[in-house]
Amino acid sequence: MSSTAARALPSRTWVTDKIFLGLPFAEYLKSLATPGSFVAGLIMAVGIPVIVYRFAYGLGASTNLSQTNPWGIWIGFDMMAGVALAAGGYTIATSVYIFGLKEYHPIVRPAILTGFLGYLFAVLGLCADLGRPWNLPVPLFISWGGPSVMFEIAWCVVLYLTVLGLEFLPPLFEWLRWKKALVLATKATIGLTIVGVMLSTLHQSSLGGLFLMVPTKLHPLWYSPFIPAYFFISSIAAGLSMVIVESGLSHRAFKSRVDHHVNLDKLVVGLARGASIVLFAYFFLKLQGVVDGGRWALLATGYGCWYLVEVLGFVLLPSLVFAYAARHARATLIRWTAAWTVLGIIINRLNVSVIALNWNSPDRYIPNWMEVMLSLTLVTLGVSAFRWIVNRMPVLNEHELSGIRES
Amino acid sequence: MIPHDILTLYSAKMIEYGIAILFLLLFIPFWKYVQGPSAAVVPAHARVRQPAATGADWFPIPLDRLFHRGHAWARPDADGLVTVGLDGFAAKLVGPLASVALPQIGAAVGQGERAWQLVADDGRAVEMLSPLDGTIAEINADLARSPGAAQLDPYGRGWLFRVRPQRLRANSTNLLSGAMARRWMDEVVAGLQRTLSPELGALAQDGGVPLADIARIIDPDNWDSVARTHLLTEDKEDANA
Repeated sequence: MSSTAARALPSRTWVTDKIFLGLPFAEYLKSLATPGSFVAGLIMAVGIPVIVYRFAYGLGASTNLSQTNPWGIWIGFDMMAGVALAAGGYTIATSVYIFGLKEYHPIVRPAILTGFLGYLFAVLGLCADLGRPWNLPVPLFISWGGPSVMFEIAWCVVLYLTVLGLEFLPPLFEWLRWKKALVLATKATIGLTIVGVMLSTLHQSSLGGLFLMVPTKLHPLWYSPFIPAYFFISSIAAGLSMVIVESGLSHRAFKSRVDHHVNLDKLVVGLARGASIVLFAYFFLKLQGVVDGGRWALLATGYGCWYLVEVLGFVLLPSLVFAYAARHARATLIRWTAAWTVLGIIINRLNVSVIALNWNSPDRYIPNWMEVMLSLTLVTLGVSAFRWIVNRMPVLNEHELSGIRES
Repeated sequence: MIPHDILTLYSAKMIEYGIAILFLLLFIPFWKYVQGPSAAVVPAHARVRQPAATGADWFPIPLDRLFHRGHAWARPDADGLVTVGLDGFAAKLVGPLASVALPQIGAAVGQGERAWQLVADDGRAVEMLSPLDGTIAEINADLARSPGAAQLDPYGRGWLFRVRPQRLRANSTNLLSGAMARRWMDEVVAGLQRTLSPELGALAQDGGVPLADIARIIDPDNWDSVARTHLLTEDKEDANA
């Protein structure tokens, strides 16, 4: 036999190819040994037992929630801020498929994935907060409670989560090489986008609408009949900013997976223009809210100062910096401003749902370490899921498997 | 009711209307600021003609420019100088730019002669040809900070330099404009479509848009030779390759 005869390649199963990235199992495990994985593992090692403890011993044992303060950071951060920051899915999909801004097509898939995982983990955070989460299907299928805003939110979130899942089917079917399913899934895109933006308009504003019924509990500076409009408009800025942050981090973390023909800086400049304009309009709406309610005098109080920090520091200032950075095409400054805006949205949602709620009650809520740990664990699980999917499916580079589309 | 009581009664509404008017007044300049100077600064003669982009969907051709076949454009301005830049095709041909090496003020340029370099992020450079004869009177200093502006907005903020022309009328006979420029760009696009792989022509169901860095798509290892071929600055070695 010739000494130069080729050796047969080891056979690769579907699992090796798709799940272990083509590596033997031992090598795949070695590839997971990164500093990021170590930190995530540490968080989950503490967080998952906390989740088990919460469901085993209930809310009283695992949280500082009470009859006076039934909502904590699981609602304020996981649900409210999570849903706002997941708005990138509908904003980018609408921009590309409805408004025809096709140059943003390369960031549609990561935005949809971020939106899908954001909503999924927001719902998981909600399940942790509910006293009897097994009753979640009740308002959906058994006893609607039609007059309640919560009914509309429940239905919209469930439907929109479904829409996001369906919008993410094309990259999934490309990965699985299911051609017929791919054709069907791709044809549904525009219809799903239209339904998605309708549902998002409804539930993003309704999350704010929940607070219309607590005028005596929510601090007057944050309470306004315009809260639904505030929540919806700020969700647009939140979505655009989150897409800027996510795209920057993804392009650094997944360098080998990105489409290097896409000029991401150019797209980011365009997103910054949009975010700047939205934040500028949002600032004036907040100003109108203060005037309409006759709240000027309250600005001179402690809560008033905090309100000014939120509105001036996390709405007006990012709007102006976005405008400057977009005009001068300063992509790095845009990314930092986007992170700052994301923080501002989180602060706003926490202000409305936790900090400024029951502001005059002697019994103030402070989350305990288990609540923080559970929220952190959910975020870590979401990031890990994003990483798992992006490493396998054509999300950052939609041309990776484009042959499957054209064959 | 005495006047100041009326104001007290309606003060909140007055302030609200005032804020709304203030917002509208501020929004227009804010919008213009965010979009950049190309929307605000328009030379007098171009304002009258109101140029509209035409030509191939991929690389629109503004009607107020004169195009050189090396993919540079020239625009005579009201002050007698001529602004020069690279067209949409050249902007998409080369990938992300690290810098643009412009000629110095006072330097002479000749039509069809190499005048500036586009330096890509991998260090390789391609030269471009000047569309006219003249002396450099002004260069775009913003490109030193933001070279990407030449790609983001090649017909606006991405202008390269301004020239004091020597023989504009004679040079113009060798330049394309209007319908001729459109037809030329259509031919360029047709040639590109014959060369490019199918996945550039369509992005799923939405018809497709040209991606940046066309030269690298055609030949990732020798993209600079490809770019020089299209920009008419190829050396003999490139031609024989």
